[in-house]
Amino acid sequence: MLKIPRAIVEEMVAHAREAMPNEACGMVHAQGGVPFEVHRVKNIAGDEKSGSPFRYEMDPMQQLRLEAQRDETGETLFAIYHSHVGSEARPSPTDERQAFFPPGEFDRDPAYPNTFYILVSLASEPPEVRAWRVLKRTSPDETRPVVIEEPIERARWWPQWPWRCWMRRWTGRLRHR
Amino acid sequence: MAVQVHVTSVIRNAVGGQRKVSADGGSVREVLADIEAKYPGFKAQVMDEQGQLHRFVNIYLNDEDIRYLQGADTILSDGDEMSILPALAGG
Repeated sequence: MLKIPRAIVEEMVAHAREAMPNEACGMVHAQGGVPFEVHRVKNIAGDEKSGSPFRYEMDPMQQLRLEAQRDETGETLFAIYHSHVGSEARPSPTDERQAFFPPGEFDRDPAYPNTFYILVSLASEPPEVRAWRVLKRTSPDETRPVVIEEPIERARWWPQWPWRCWMRRWTGRLRHR
Repeated sequence: MAVQVHVTSVIRNAVGGQRKVSADGGSVREVLADIEAKYPGFKAQVMDEQGQLHRFVNIYLNDEDIRYLQGADTILSDGDEMSILPALAGG
């Protein structure tokens, strides 16, 4: 069971709804392995770079800033999330390909080996939220990588919330002022 | 000309896990060649055999996508900062 604070699940769903009709995307940061913050990232897929109902591509500048933040604070990339507006909450063939670098190189370790892929599907009401791991294929005969679901447990907000992380961040911010 | 190159996520594996490398060169292409000289195999992660940037890789020069500048032929100035990152995308 993957424990995720309910507030985090709700924030991803809220983002998915607001991004309609396009796909929403973003990152969930963790500290000490506990997911504690959702970062919405602009979807720049599509000809106008303003998003697409069928694809997502994260704004590279935001991607850079979030990576710098992780390097600085010791936070980790707990999950990469995105929404599917009309299909179920499991990685599409495109998602599977893009989980590898270069895309589709299923014999290598995935680009983010310790990160979950969270899918929010708006095809049903209430929206479905499911988490997945994408791993390299087990034999060259396979045409797809290994995709494993990690059932989500929506943890109550209060006890699991890493207050210490927040405190550390706030005191850090005060120091930088 | 010396520039700082930020290397992110999975591409760090090609430069021995470092977050930042220093490299010399007057253009993006020359800087990439300089990194390749220090870390063989690096360039293939970023460019194809014809010297075109892979679609799934982004290079930023001081917050600007080099695709909107002169691509790999973009001229660099001293103290410029380059960032190389894999596209994070899906469907």
